[in-house]
Amino acid sequence: MTSTSYDVVAVAAVVLLTLGIGVYGLRLARTTSDFLVASRAVSPMWNASAISGEYLSAASFLGIAGLVLAYGADMLWYPVGFVAGYLVLLLLVAAPLRRSGAYTVPDFAEARLASPAVRRLASLFVVAIGWLYLVPQLQGAGLTLSATTGAPVWVGAVLVAVVVTVNVAGGGMRSATFVQAFQYWLKLTALAVPALFLLLAWQGDGAPDLAAPAGPVFRETTSVVLDDPVRVEVVEPVTVDVRGSGPRLLGAGEQLLPSGTLVFPAGAAVPHIDRIERATGDAWARPLSGAGGLDHPLYATYALVLATFLGTMGLPHVLVRFYTNPDGAAARRTTLVVLGLLGVFYLVPTVYGALGRLYTPELLLTGRTDAVVLALPGALIGGLGGDLLEALLVAGAFAAFLSTSSGLLVSTAGVLVQDVLRGTVRDFRRAAVAAAALPLALALAASSLPIGQVVGLAFAMAASTFCPLLVLGIWWRGLTAPGAAAGLVAGGGLSAAAVLSTLAGLADRGWPAALLAQPAAWTVPTAFAVMVGVSLATRDRVPADVGRTMLQLHAPESLGLSLRR
Amino acid sequence: MSTVHDRSSTDAGGGSTYAEVQATEEFQSLKRALRRFVFPATAAFLAWYLLYVLMSAYARGFMDNQLFGNINVAYVFGLLQFVSTFVLAYIYSRYADKHFDPTADRIRQRLEGTST
Repeated sequence: MTSTSYDVVAVAAVVLLTLGIGVYGLRLARTTSDFLVASRAVSPMWNASAISGEYLSAASFLGIAGLVLAYGADMLWYPVGFVAGYLVLLLLVAAPLRRSGAYTVPDFAEARLASPAVRRLASLFVVAIGWLYLVPQLQGAGLTLSATTGAPVWVGAVLVAVVVTVNVAGGGMRSATFVQAFQYWLKLTALAVPALFLLLAWQGDGAPDLAAPAGPVFRETTSVVLDDPVRVEVVEPVTVDVRGSGPRLLGAGEQLLPSGTLVFPAGAAVPHIDRIERATGDAWARPLSGAGGLDHPLYATYALVLATFLGTMGLPHVLVRFYTNPDGAAARRTTLVVLGLLGVFYLVPTVYGALGRLYTPELLLTGRTDAVVLALPGALIGGLGGDLLEALLVAGAFAAFLSTSSGLLVSTAGVLVQDVLRGTVRDFRRAAVAAAALPLALALAASSLPIGQVVGLAFAMAASTFCPLLVLGIWWRGLTAPGAAAGLVAGGGLSAAAVLSTLAGLADRGWPAALLAQPAAWTVPTAFAVMVGVSLATRDRVPADVGRTMLQLHAPESLGLSLRR
Repeated sequence: MSTVHDRSSTDAGGGSTYAEVQATEEFQSLKRALRRFVFPATAAFLAWYLLYVLMSAYARGFMDNQLFGNINVAYVFGLLQFVSTFVLAYIYSRYADKHFDPTADRIRQRLEGTST
C-alpha cells in the first residue's frame, strides 16, 4: 500500500464511522422522546468530552500549529483564548442562560426582551457566524486531502460538506452525546501520539535548536512542488534546480517562482511567500516581536485575547451543549472538566509548529503552513511509520472537520428554518442543504487565509454581537429592545465590515491591517457602548416583566422557578 | 446598576411566588453574593491576562530573568496563567456549591413552609 492509500482508508473509515454512528444514534434518539431529555442523564465526564469534541475544529487541529510555524510565540494566545473563553462563559453566562430555558441566543433575546425583531436580528448573526466558522473547516478538508493524497482542493471540501449535510439532514450525529465524546478522544489520540513519535525522532536527531538564530533553512536537498506560481522574498541568492528547465539563480529580493518542481540545495535559506516575513529564531520565540510580519503585535494580542475570551459564549454550537447537564452544579463540574480536556489538547499543536520550522520549512515558501501537522511525519520519520502516523493525523483532522461542521450546521439550519426563511422553507432538511451550500461556495471561491485566523474572525464577530447581548441581558435590567438591536447592528456591522475587508485583503500593512485583522478591541467596546447608550435613551421601553425574567435567570434551579424544567 | 428591585412585585404577572422570593432577605443576599464573586473574579482574571501581555511588551528585562536552567520569568508567568484559569474555575465551582445551593434550599424550604 502507498502512503496515499493509507490516507484514503483513514478518511473513508472516519466518514463511514460518522455516518454509521449517525444512523445508530438516530435509532437511539427515536426511542427517547427528546435527545435533550435523554442526554440530561449523562455524567459530567461524558458531557465534557462531548463539548470538547465538538469544539475542537480545524483551527485547533491544523490551524494553531500553522500559525505558530509562521508567526511564532504570539500565536499561543489562540489556544489560551480558546480555553479561557469557557471560563468567562461559566462565570457570566452559563447558569443564568440555562435557567432561562432558552436554547439559543435568538431564543434568549426573545424571552428577555419580548421582541421578535431583536430575535430575527440575532438569528441573522447566528447564521453569519456559523458560515464564517464553516468556511475554514471546509477549506481545511480540501487542504488536508490535497496535501496528503494530491487530490484537487475541492474534493475534500465537497466531501465534508456532503457527508455533514447528509448526516445532519438525516438527524443523526448531534443527537448522540457519545459520538461527540468519542470524537474528542479520537482527536487527542490522533494529535498526541504522532507528536510523541516526532519528539522522539527529534531527540534521535540530536535535538537541534528549535529557534536557531539564522531563521529557517533547508536542512537537506529539498524538492518543492508548486501548483501555482508563488511570489517570494529571497534573502540570500540561491541556485535552484527547476525540473525540466535546469538550474536558475534566484537573486535577493522579490521573485516570482514558476509552478512546477524546484530543488533547493541543503543549507539554503528558505525564501518566504510574500505575506510571511522571514523571522530569526530569536524573534520567532519572543512574544510581541511581530515575527512573520504582523504589525502592532501588542494591539493585535489584546484584540485577540478579547475576541477569544468574550467570543466563545456567542458561538452557535457551544451554548446549546450546556443544557445537557442535569443541574447547575453538574454544569459547573462539566466546565471544569472541559477546561482540563481542552488544556491538555492545546499543549500539543505547539510541538508541531516548532518542529515544522526545522523539518518542513518549505511550507513557509508555499504558504501552506496549515499543512504542517500533516507534513511532519513524512519529513521527520518517513517509511511505513511515517505513513501510518500521517494516516492517523488525517483521520483526526477529518474527525475535527466533521464534528465541528455538524454542530455548526445543526445550529445554523435550525435558525434558518425557525427565523430567517420562515414561510419559505419549512423543511429542516432543505434548510440544512441551504446552510451548507453557501459556505461550500465561499470555501471554493475565497482565497485561503490561515484557518486559525478566519476562525479568530468568527470569534471576534461573536464577541462583538452576542457577548454584549448576553452579558447585559443577564446582568443589567436596563437593557431595552431598541438598545439591543442598535448594539447588534453596530458591533455586528463593524466586525462584519472588518472581516470582509480582511478576507478581501484590502489592507496588508500598518495600522489599518492590524485594526481590520483583529477588530475585537474596537468593535466589542463600541457594541457595549451603543447597547448601553441607546437603552438609557429608551428607558421607557424596558420590558414590563423584567423583574420576573431576572428572577428566573438568577434564582437557582432548586427554587423551581425556571420557565422550562 | 440594577438596584431597583421593587418593580417585580407589581409587574410579576405570574403570581405572588415571584414577588415573595424576590423580597426575601436570603434571595437578596444570594444575589449579592453572586455578584460579589462573579464580577471581581472576571475583572481580576482579565486583568491578570492583560498584565502578562503588558509585561511581555514593556518589562522584557524582568521577564527575561533566568530563574533556573533555561527557564525564565516569562515561562513561569505564562504557566501560572494557565494554572490560574483552572484554579479560578475550581474556586468558583466550590464557592457556588457551598454558598449558592444551600441558600437556595433554605429559601425553598421557607417558601414551602409559609405557602402550604
